[in-house]
Amino acid sequence: MFEVALIIFVGGMTYRLIRVLLLGWGRDRVPAMGSKTVGVLKSYLKGILIWPFIPWVKDTFKRNPLIYVAGGLFHLGLFAVIFLGTAHMLVWKSLLGFGWPTLPLPIVDWMAAVAIVAMLALFINRLVNPVLRMISGPAEWLNWGVVFLPLVTGYIMAHHLWFGYTTLFSLHMLAVDMLLIYIPLSRISHFMFYFFSRTIHGTEYGKRGVMP
Amino acid sequence: MLATQEALNQFVEDTGGWVASQLEACTRCGMCAEACHFYISSGNPAYSPVWKMELLRRAYEGRFTLSGRLKLALGIEKPISDSDLDTWRTIDYEACTLCNRCSQVCPMGIDLGSLIHGVRGALAAAGEVPKDLEDATQKQIEDGSPLGVDLDAWKDRMDWIQDEWEVKLPIDVKGADTMAVFTSIELMKFPSNFAYIAKIMEAAGESWTISSKGREVVNFGLFEGSTEHTILFLKRIFDAAEELGVKRVMVTECGHAYEALRWTSFNLVQVPKGLEVTHIAGVLGEFLNAGRIKLKAGAMDDNLITFHDACKIQRKGGHIKEPRQILNILAPNNFVEMTPNREDGICCGGGGGVISIKEADQKRFDAFELKIDQMNEIGAKRVTMACSNCRLQFTDSVQHFDLDWKIYGLSQMVAESLEE
Ligand code: SF4
Ligand code: SF4
Repeated sequence: MFEVALIIFVGGMTYRLIRVLLLGWGRDRVPAMGSKTVGVLKSYLKGILIWPFIPWVKDTFKRNPLIYVAGGLFHLGLFAVIFLGTAHMLVWKSLLGFGWPTLPLPIVDWMAAVAIVAMLALFINRLVNPVLRMISGPAEWLNWGVVFLPLVTGYIMAHHLWFGYTTLFSLHMLAVDMLLIYIPLSRISHFMFYFFSRTIHGTEYGKRGVMP
Repeated sequence: MLATQEALNQFVEDTGGWVASQLEACTRCGMCAEACHFYISSGNPAYSPVWKMELLRRAYEGRFTLSGRLKLALGIEKPISDSDLDTWRTIDYEACTLCNRCSQVCPMGIDLGSLIHGVRGALAAAGEVPKDLEDATQKQIEDGSPLGVDLDAWKDRMDWIQDEWEVKLPIDVKGADTMAVFTSIELMKFPSNFAYIAKIMEAAGESWTISSKGREVVNFGLFEGSTEHTILFLKRIFDAAEELGVKRVMVTECGHAYEALRWTSFNLVQVPKGLEVTHIAGVLGEFLNAGRIKLKAGAMDDNLITFHDACKIQRKGGHIKEPRQILNILAPNNFVEMTPNREDGICCGGGGGVISIKEADQKRFDAFELKIDQMNEIGAKRVTMACSNCRLQFTDSVQHFDLDWKIYGLSQMVAESLEE
């Protein structure tokens, strides 16, 4: 089942990628004022370092700190769990053939908890923020649920709370499979297109000699 | 199928992966709203940038993605309808200045301004342009000016300016180096700008000219989003430049015109070979650094003064340093920055054609209140800028709110403090 889900995930994402690439890319003939490469570099550095980890450099942070903090912590926690948790690293190792050092369990555990709390905060925010209410349809709620389930089943499993370990393991795997199959159909795929939009952003600002 | 839907599909087809990948990247996090002066000043969620490009997303997904087609089939998503056009005409033309501040805070770095411009293009193709914009465009097509100033009236105006300010305006001089292109806002509201720029050009010893053919640099096609009209107006300038054989076209104080000529034109039309496009803000910096003009140091140092960053000249134009360099010479002790500034500066609220739409007046004044807050925060009552469109919005709003501010144009300040 996991293998099937994985194949659907990889196949689906490849399809999405090719679909977008095949739409064609026009050549930019505008003479540049600054360096596009510098713009792209700055865009990524700023995107990763400043946003969201030191977001108070922007006035917009003050206007809605919750979305910055919760959004940032959620991603940070999720990445830590998926890539730096020992159990997950072993899954990666079996898939890729090589492993890497991981974080001690209590730290990963805390980060998972932080991610869960951040997700709950984001859920409530989506319910009350007027803009988010307006732009949220069934898909947005489903996105949230499909990401939340593996996270929460994994957490419960790691803590041996309720139910038996095997039941929880199956639930966790089921949730992960669902997530993998669902990603290509949804906006969770933004992690792939992030690289497009950030590069475009950096190119545009770099070309104009402006800090992206 | 609705014309707008068709037009949006065509837009995605034309722009290709560039637009598609950005639409795919949006997480619908809503953060962009916090950057938009129209949303901040009204609290209306429909003015959030992500919502302004909603039609484009719907058209794109419904036509180009599996999940989008699935959603349409299941009835989760509705196809674009006539009433949608009404809604988005109002929010995309009246409540967006295409300032692109939103793209600076989007965590994915999505170029929302361009996408919203694409929606405008589709609406224009479907004939859904606000009446005032459409009228102005029509006048620009027929008379060569959105304010209806035809060639004869323009010539009279040129004569009057030369008499009034006792300057020489070189018109249609073949072989000049620089062709200055002015906006109708300068022509009608700030005519002294012609004189100021003439003074600066003379002081710098620049060989320059004004073209009677390319006499209008404002591009209402860009405001509409109509590529056809944008090209038509761009061509008038480039044809004039080619005819006079100039080396460069210098946009005077207009941000949107600069955007059209400097950043859009090269991908739209055949720009005469070797022709350079620049903005007066950049040229002022160039003259200063080359020692071709000298300014009286401290000439404006008697009171606090600040600078308003125009979205198309600073954030999207790159001329961030030059105005500051000038202000640091003219008011070394009294030049203070508003926050946020530079590429993060808050838009004046009048760009993107908004100021020419009567129905948008209230929204525009509401948005300007953010500028008032920024000014009050530093306690400045003098402000300068390098964009006439901003300057019009400032003078208009100062009147509306009855403020005792002084508004300057950058060239004005430079011309008035030239070292003889
Ligand atoms: S901030 Fe960017 S990612 Fe978030 S909703 Fe706006 S456009 Fe989409
Ligand atoms: S471009 Fe400017 S006015 Fe338009 S939505 Fe973005 S922030 Fe608002």
